[in-house]
Amino acid sequence: MSDTPLMDQLDEEIDAVLATGRERAVSDPAVAELLSLAAELRTIPRPGFKAKLEADLLGQVAPIAIRAVSVSATIMPTAISKAARATDSRLASEMIPTLAGFERSLYPIQRSSFMASLGAHAVIVALIVTSGIWAAPSFHEKPNVHSVLVTDLTYVLPLAPDDAGGGGGGGDSDILQASRGNPPRFARDQIAPPAIIVRSEQRKLPAEPTVVGPPALSFPQTSQLGDPFSHIPGPPSNGTGASGGMGSGKRDGIGPGTGPGVGDGREGGIGGGPYVVGRGVSAPQLIYDPEPEYSDEARKEKYQGVVLLQVIVGEDGRPRDVRIARSLGLGLDEKALEAVRQWRFEPGRLNGRTVAVVVNVQVNFRLY
Amino acid sequence: MKVLENAAEEELLIEAARRDPAQFAELYQKNFDRVYAFIARRVPSRQDAEDLTAEVFHEALRNLARFEWRGVPFVAWLLGIAGNRLADRWRRSGKQQEVPANDCDETGSSARIEENLILFQLVNELPSDQRLVICRRFVDQRSLREIAQELERSEGAIKQLQFRALQNLRTQMRNRHV
Repeated sequence: MSDTPLMDQLDEEIDAVLATGRERAVSDPAVAELLSLAAELRTIPRPGFKAKLEADLLGQVAPIAIRAVSVSATIMPTAISKAARATDSRLASEMIPTLAGFERSLYPIQRSSFMASLGAHAVIVALIVTSGIWAAPSFHEKPNVHSVLVTDLTYVLPLAPDDAGGGGGGGDSDILQASRGNPPRFARDQIAPPAIIVRSEQRKLPAEPTVVGPPALSFPQTSQLGDPFSHIPGPPSNGTGASGGMGSGKRDGIGPGTGPGVGDGREGGIGGGPYVVGRGVSAPQLIYDPEPEYSDEARKEKYQGVVLLQVIVGEDGRPRDVRIARSLGLGLDEKALEAVRQWRFEPGRLNGRTVAVVVNVQVNFRLY
Repeated sequence: MKVLENAAEEELLIEAARRDPAQFAELYQKNFDRVYAFIARRVPSRQDAEDLTAEVFHEALRNLARFEWRGVPFVAWLLGIAGNRLADRWRRSGKQQEVPANDCDETGSSARIEENLILFQLVNELPSDQRLVICRRFVDQRSLREIAQELERSEGAIKQLQFRALQNLRTQMRNRHV
């Protein structure tokens, strides 16, 4: 007899059990018996569940072991005692020591070690807390160097042989060269030009003759007014130039140049030297200015002050002819020179062209 | 005498597991089927049975250090945990169902639980093709057609394998006087 109808009916009932969770009444006892088994199989564990749960439990063993092995030793059979001791030894080597022994642990708590550790920590904390106190002096001794570019000059270089700066010239179309002598006082502005021979006495306001240049600059003042560059001692002459002043140039100055200054060149100042800032001459602008270092000697002596340097900023923006105008000593002058020689400028300009300009640099050395 | 030997052996295993929880694996292997069968008869789905069984063994492992040997089989302690878990679950779900008092004795033995326990064990002893069909049909709850497609067999062949497997299980159960 074929089992096909039986199998079909059984499978149909199994579908119902799986769908509803309940067995239906079946008349065939053979089907009913198998269906009862099938209903029980509905909750059979998945094939890998038992192994997976065991793995989960064993994975949980490590952290539990620390607590579990803390149970005080009890009387046990020898074999288990040995196994337990071996386990204790292994676990003890893996355990992290604790400072406080409040929790059960197999790790030996040594009070002396605890106190030593506590003391070491206290010292470290005290050092950290008080570090601000003993670190403060070194903070105050931190060197601070500040450099300032000073364009209002109080020092002027002596004449240079090349045509590098301002100057002036004049004359009154005399047939003789200007006679040798000293120029009048330098002033920022000129009211009356210098003249050895005064052609007209029709001045409404008497004014001291001056040449335009740094007021601090002075030539040896004698009673003999004249051109300091002339090789002709006399007779007195205002020179072959024009437009007032003395010399072979023009425009109320002294010398072969053009302008109210002295010497070769233009627009006032001292001919043959650098320009000074003002009267159309723009100040050089710093574009690279590394600060000087503090010398070890000065730092050691807690020495501080100001070094004043006089610098000619050339047409190319490089400093040249750097000189110490006010010294400080203890190696600070050298440090200032060393640093300023590395500086770079946007050069000063006169009527759009770059010119050499003399400036001062004030370097402040301070310890804070 | 056999009971005494088993009790002594179980006591040693428990003590070993308390000293070294890695030894808990043997207690787990000895008691898993019975605990699972106990729970499976009281919950509606396999997922519930597996979840509760896992909770019982995790709790047992956590509290093993507190277990005191009083001559009662270890499985009774496990089933006590399972009973508490079941009660908690029923209370949360609002059901007032309780574990039947006469369902099992203190050793966790009962006819129905034993029947389930043996049935689950016998499934593992089925021929591989029959075991596979039973697993696909009752664990994965697939239809015969889906199983046939997966195994590249005819639906009739799968139906017959299912039938034979159930017959085998019935025969084995009878042989064990269940």
